[in-house]
Amino acid sequence: MKQAFTGFDPAFEHRARLAIAVLLARHGEVSFAGFKQQLDLTDGNLGAQLRRLEDEGYVELRRDFVERKPVTWYRLTAQGNDALKRHLAALQQLIGAG
Amino acid sequence: MTENDQLKQDLDYIATAVRRRDRPAGVPAIFFLWAAIIAVGFPLVDFGQHLPRIFGAYWLVAGFGGGALSWWLGERDARRSGINDRELGRRYGLHWGIGGLAYLLTMLPLLLERVPPRQGGAGFLFTTGLLYALAGVHLERSLLWAGLLMLAAYALLTAFALPYTWTIAGVVIAVALAWAGLAARRARTQGGRA
Repeated sequence: MKQAFTGFDPAFEHRARLAIAVLLARHGEVSFAGFKQQLDLTDGNLGAQLRRLEDEGYVELRRDFVERKPVTWYRLTAQGNDALKRHLAALQQLIGAG
Repeated sequence: MTENDQLKQDLDYIATAVRRRDRPAGVPAIFFLWAAIIAVGFPLVDFGQHLPRIFGAYWLVAGFGGGALSWWLGERDARRSGINDRELGRRYGLHWGIGGLAYLLTMLPLLLERVPPRQGGAGFLFTTGLLYALAGVHLERSLLWAGLLMLAAYALLTAFALPYTWTIAGVVIAVALAWAGLAARRARTQGGRA
């Protein structure tokens, strides 16, 4: 059914990746530990989902230190923001049609 | 499982993740800091009439120092929690910035000597109550009850023309803030670092 609608992005078809993008759109910048807490994912799974979004050019990262511990912060790129808007519009269309 | 069921489950998962940060619980250390500053600073008007310089110096240091320390504590908390929400930061800044302006306006009748200094405390209780109640609606739910308590105390203080208005106002605000701090701490323990 999804294929009947345009705008669906395979990068956001996994719910964890869509949740990551939605959280970034809402909060601006989220760290790896912040995602872990919000999404209840293992380090391996979360790392893989973030890498996929990074490879697509949808998120970019910044390394920082918080109390001498290394922290990786993620944020949505303009390209990622546009792709998320398109994907959410397609989802709305799908829900409206259902 | 149908595609629609799968979609519904996915959207529920995303909604739950987003709602976890819907209402931040606040930073308990900031509430305790201001409870201590106000508990000491307000009674100075009632009991330190021979020491007006100490009162002025206290609020100059505690006001600006407390503001800077609150900003630092908030920033540190955001970095520790792993969510750097600039939009939310702007909302906090705007709310407390307007609050600072409201305090200056509350002080205006005292500066212009339209109100005797001894009666000025109730005005600060009203302004603080309103600021915290609105912060409870828009920013952190734990502040709502603290704000309403201050407004109720303002009504009593004004209706019964009680003495030691600054001391009563200071004690009520300090207790309300300590209560908000404890509520914020409990909310964090229950729901992770909200």
